[in-house]
Amino acid sequence: MPRKRKATVVALIGAAAILLGLWLIIRTIGQPTGKPLNTLAPFGQQAQDIQDLTIPVFSVAGVIFVAVLVAVIWMVVRFREPDDVVEGQDEPTQTHGNTPLEIGWTIVPAVLLAVLAVLNVQTLLKLDDTGENPIEVTVVGQQWWWEYRYDFDGDQAPEIVTATQMVMPTGRDVTVKIQSNDVIHSFWIPSLNGKKDAVPGRTHELVFNTENPGIYEGQCTEFCGLSHGVMRMQIKALPPAEFDVWLANMTKPPAQPTNAAAARGEALFVGQCARCHEVNGLTPDSTPPFSYSDEPSPSYGVEVDSSLSSKNAPNLTNFMMRQTFAGNLLALWEGDAATAVVAVPGDVPGAVPDKVNIKRWLRNPQDVKPMDAENNQGMPNLNLSEDQIDDLTEYLVTLGPATRPAA
Amino acid sequence: MTDVALEPMDDVEFPDDVHATSTGISNPKLAMWTYLASDCLLFGGLISTYLLYRNRPGNIPGLSGSDLRASELFNIPFTSMTSFILLMSSLTMVLAVNSAIRSDAERMRLWLVATSVLGAMFLGGQIYEFTEFVREGLGFTSNVSASSFFTLTGLHGAHVAVGVLMLLSATVYSMRRTLNAEAVETLGLYWHFVDIVWVVIFAIVYLIP
Amino acid sequence: MAITEERPPLELTSGDLPPVEVETLGVFHRPRSTHGWASWFTTVDHKKIGIMYGFASFFFLLVGGFEALLIRTQLAVPGNKLLSADLYNQVFTMHGVTMVFLVVMPLAAAFANYLLPLQIGARDVAFPRMNALSLWVWLFGAIFFNTSWFLGGGADGGWFNYAPNSGVVFSPSHGIDFYAVGLIIMGIGSTVSAVNLTVTVLNMRAPGMTLMRMPVFTWMTFIVQVLLVFALPVITVALLLLTLDRMFGATFFDASAGGDPFLWEHLFWIFGHPEVYIMILPSFGIASEVLPTFSRKPIFGYPFMVGSGIAIGFMGWGVWAHHMFASGMGPISVLAFSLATMFIAVPTGVKILNWMATMYGGRLRFTTAMLFSIGLVAMFTIGGLSGVTHAFAPMDTQQTDTYYIVAHFHYVLFGGALFGLFSGIYFWWPKIFGFFLNEKLGKWHFWLMILGFNLTFGPMHILGLQGMMRRTYTYTEGQGFNGWNLVATFGAYLLAVSILVFIWNVIRSYRAHRRNPVNPGPDPWDARSLEWMIQSPPPEHNFDEVPVVEDFDEFWHRKYGHDEQGRPVRIAATEDVVQKGDATGVHLPSPSYWPIVLAAGLPLIGYGVIFNLWWALPGVILMVAGIYGWVLEPSTDPSAGHGHDDDHHHDGDDSDAAALDEPADAGTADGDGEGVDADGSETAAEPEPAMATASAEAQDGGSK
Repeated sequence: MPRKRKATVVALIGAAAILLGLWLIIRTIGQPTGKPLNTLAPFGQQAQDIQDLTIPVFSVAGVIFVAVLVAVIWMVVRFREPDDVVEGQDEPTQTHGNTPLEIGWTIVPAVLLAVLAVLNVQTLLKLDDTGENPIEVTVVGQQWWWEYRYDFDGDQAPEIVTATQMVMPTGRDVTVKIQSNDVIHSFWIPSLNGKKDAVPGRTHELVFNTENPGIYEGQCTEFCGLSHGVMRMQIKALPPAEFDVWLANMTKPPAQPTNAAAARGEALFVGQCARCHEVNGLTPDSTPPFSYSDEPSPSYGVEVDSSLSSKNAPNLTNFMMRQTFAGNLLALWEGDAATAVVAVPGDVPGAVPDKVNIKRWLRNPQDVKPMDAENNQGMPNLNLSEDQIDDLTEYLVTLGPATRPAA
Repeated sequence: MTDVALEPMDDVEFPDDVHATSTGISNPKLAMWTYLASDCLLFGGLISTYLLYRNRPGNIPGLSGSDLRASELFNIPFTSMTSFILLMSSLTMVLAVNSAIRSDAERMRLWLVATSVLGAMFLGGQIYEFTEFVREGLGFTSNVSASSFFTLTGLHGAHVAVGVLMLLSATVYSMRRTLNAEAVETLGLYWHFVDIVWVVIFAIVYLIP
Repeated sequence: MAITEERPPLELTSGDLPPVEVETLGVFHRPRSTHGWASWFTTVDHKKIGIMYGFASFFFLLVGGFEALLIRTQLAVPGNKLLSADLYNQVFTMHGVTMVFLVVMPLAAAFANYLLPLQIGARDVAFPRMNALSLWVWLFGAIFFNTSWFLGGGADGGWFNYAPNSGVVFSPSHGIDFYAVGLIIMGIGSTVSAVNLTVTVLNMRAPGMTLMRMPVFTWMTFIVQVLLVFALPVITVALLLLTLDRMFGATFFDASAGGDPFLWEHLFWIFGHPEVYIMILPSFGIASEVLPTFSRKPIFGYPFMVGSGIAIGFMGWGVWAHHMFASGMGPISVLAFSLATMFIAVPTGVKILNWMATMYGGRLRFTTAMLFSIGLVAMFTIGGLSGVTHAFAPMDTQQTDTYYIVAHFHYVLFGGALFGLFSGIYFWWPKIFGFFLNEKLGKWHFWLMILGFNLTFGPMHILGLQGMMRRTYTYTEGQGFNGWNLVATFGAYLLAVSILVFIWNVIRSYRAHRRNPVNPGPDPWDARSLEWMIQSPPPEHNFDEVPVVEDFDEFWHRKYGHDEQGRPVRIAATEDVVQKGDATGVHLPSPSYWPIVLAAGLPLIGYGVIFNLWWALPGVILMVAGIYGWVLEPSTDPSAGHGHDDDHHHDGDDSDAAALDEPADAGTADGDGEGVDADGSETAAEPEPAMATASAEAQDGGSK
């Protein structure tokens, strides 16, 4: 029957077109380059586990997708009403149903799903593993940046408090304890693992483990207000030896400013910035260990008297050990030093702090990312003069080992 | 006033030549059942909220809000008494419906008024309880335990209040206009539901420690 | 309110009812007119109410569509500054809420209102005045919600509005107050409507219309009403707690005071997941009417279609926490909800296969309605499959809150629900308005829409899998989101064009019809269910004679028998089977002022709760007045008209009795009735809204 043949031909062409389209997409979709948040390019153990589930599930779904679409195309051509149809002739048979067939296509998908369910459960259990001898990092989400607290001796007083860029060693389980200071956020590094929400009043755990050194991008994925879209984070995975270097550098006290501009900047910092920001050993007047607790701060951030506390803004001790700032939006170093997988970015040959970016932020932070400082959400515009901005920048770039005289 | 403006039950049922409702249950009654089913989930949600929050704060350190819990202030004998009064109102409601079906308008009005008086007494008891709590220092915003307690029992109180208003309206209405027994029955469904919900609330909120 | 509906409901049926004893109070005369623009405000006719639902929700579709265009324009290129982050957050929140509560739900309600009574052979819904009430409550709630744009800005917490970001501390504008109060108001309207329609389906079926003879659309809509009855109170609790938090100082969702943000998440999604089925099932029903009609075959496996609908309705209650796989619930919960979610795919798959089996072996006629239904089958399959992929909890932790989810639910709610609703619009338009929509323009509409739709939402799958987060006001260079976002924006504008084509189609078809009125007749598609057995547009009393139903697809079986191969053989001409629509003296409920009065009180109370409680006073007064006016309203005002035309025949007190005694016989009053009808509508036609005029004129022209 020519109609049937026509239908088959059209359906085959349709199938070819769909498969071609799918192939074009699949070919590039798992590529990691240029797509820092790609969920289909795993670099960590947990992300790989998820990927191992994703591929069979997507394959089954893809087959069904193509089958249904091709079947619809085939039927549309095959059973189209002829133009010369005569009333009362060529009427279709009135089938009301076919119970065995229908029971069949109830059971077959159910069985198929049951098979996939086994994979699902296995992966779930694998991901639920809390990790062996893990390093624990407390991750605190707040509008709109992330703080990381490393408490190695377990005395509830973290030795290292940093923001924006978390650092972990390769080849070892890292358990992050995710908390929130204000609203719900979600901690997500797609190359390493799926996401988990940071919920005020709760602590949620997530395990990371990767063999691959690298900088892995992340993004807050639970709507958290104004700057949700640019609330980013990073995990830098370093080989264990490098990680130790990082630890050693992060626990050093700040150096004294050596030039006059930086000294003026320090005074300005203590007078203005220290109301919210803290530099260990400098501000307010504390010496490490300082007064952080592992309890989630339930105060939503806003009831805290911000003139006495540094809880509401990133801790800037060893600021220059980071490679980005302002919620990962701005690079802290020029050129390669911003993206190099090293413990101390200042050690990268030719590393120069990106003072333009720092000044841009100091000039008006709300220009870089939307915040509502009147409502205690984010950094206010301090209306600093250009001279003050220069001094402050000179001071900030001393915060870290980079410009320290070689020890 | 004296003329009996009440349709007897069988006149309200549908004549033989018109097909009755498909289920045999009259529309208003079926609608009331459906609405009450919906209401179950309203109270279900609020009861769950209370169960979640009844011990907070207390077991979580570092939280703001009063330490006082609603359950510490319960006056079980007093609430048992008001609960009993509300349960009795179900009995009078049954009698009202019964009179309505028998087209005994006088009796029906008597029992309707009795039901609303009992309902009002229950409400009075609730208002007394609330003011006691506030005097002891537990207001609506004192803590989540108090908020959820007041919201749950307050919403139930609102249901009772609406019920009382409907009972009184029906009573007045029946003196002036034709009130069919179906309406009284439907009203009865609502009233019994409100009572049953109170039994559940009383058991879960007041009696379970 | 139900208990005060004192009118015996079955007075709608023709036949001998005892005359109701009425004591008229002078102030409570019911409105009389059933024609003219003013009558739309007092009407209790389910058909007019359905039409109003339809037009109002289409208006909000344009509003929500405009918001969507703003979103897509903002995201067309990286770092776009068209909208500030604050405005963007408001726009996407309002877009979501508008599309869910102001477009898809009420558009489905439009069909439900219009068609349910027709499909089950009833004269009206169980409670006509409550039906009007639910329309006005919803409409005023929707307008109230949108006035937030002018009173300090729209809600900015996302349609899911997670606590504590929805608290006053984090969202100090009034937007979320309007969200909470507005949704409570609309929820009241939907609850009233759901109770009403549930009772209608259960109680008002024509003789012989057993549950398993009801059309699939009726079945799906019925399931939706039951879901609404149980789902709405849950969201009402959540919104009540939110309102108490925001406006009365409670701390239900404030973790620092012992509140738990998870409470909101659970309450929201216990409502929110059934809500998904509330939005999609009516369209499943529509496709199940359209596909058989244009395949000339009965729906394949009717019991399975109904059964899978019920199964979806039930299972929809056990899967809500799949929205929370990444929220930090315990692993046992995740496991249980993940497995439950996977298996809800089974009944959904059954539906798709049964639709395909319906088409198989049929004789397919590609009207616009059919194209949209086939589009639904194909597009919903994509949305369903992507849905299965995030039923797997580990995968969902990568996918959730990315554009992959945005793609998924647009394939379900646009490619599924909205395609189905457009299919229904093209399918029932001639029935409702008495003229066809232009098929050529309709096909342009369809092809532009399916192309624009796939260009808009197809790329979002890729964007999401490559990590583009949801609800983001911008993205930057270097994230790899550039190209596909531009494609999606282009697609969105194509969608806008397709909507313009639809509007142009309506205008043009209406004008063509004005110039040269051609009534499509009662059964333009050779269709199957009871609504095609009456004239187009249907007379106000729907059925001259309530049909006695003997079969599923009753109307079809009155037209066709079957030969031994099971092929249809005509046994009766359509003209002989359809009703003439000329019955007179059918007793219909009188219009009423009170639904709109009562409904008007609610938004006033809403403003009072938000701004100043004293302002609520007029609202309360209006409501109390409305309720007592409603109760005291004479059930049938003897001096008011009730049939659509019999007020021309009779006047005074005897009309009631006369009308009731008159047999609903077609033959006798034939020419007379039509003539009067035409005269009546001619005078009333001008000030009516365009579409209504069209329907009146259809008869007008026909009788001349």
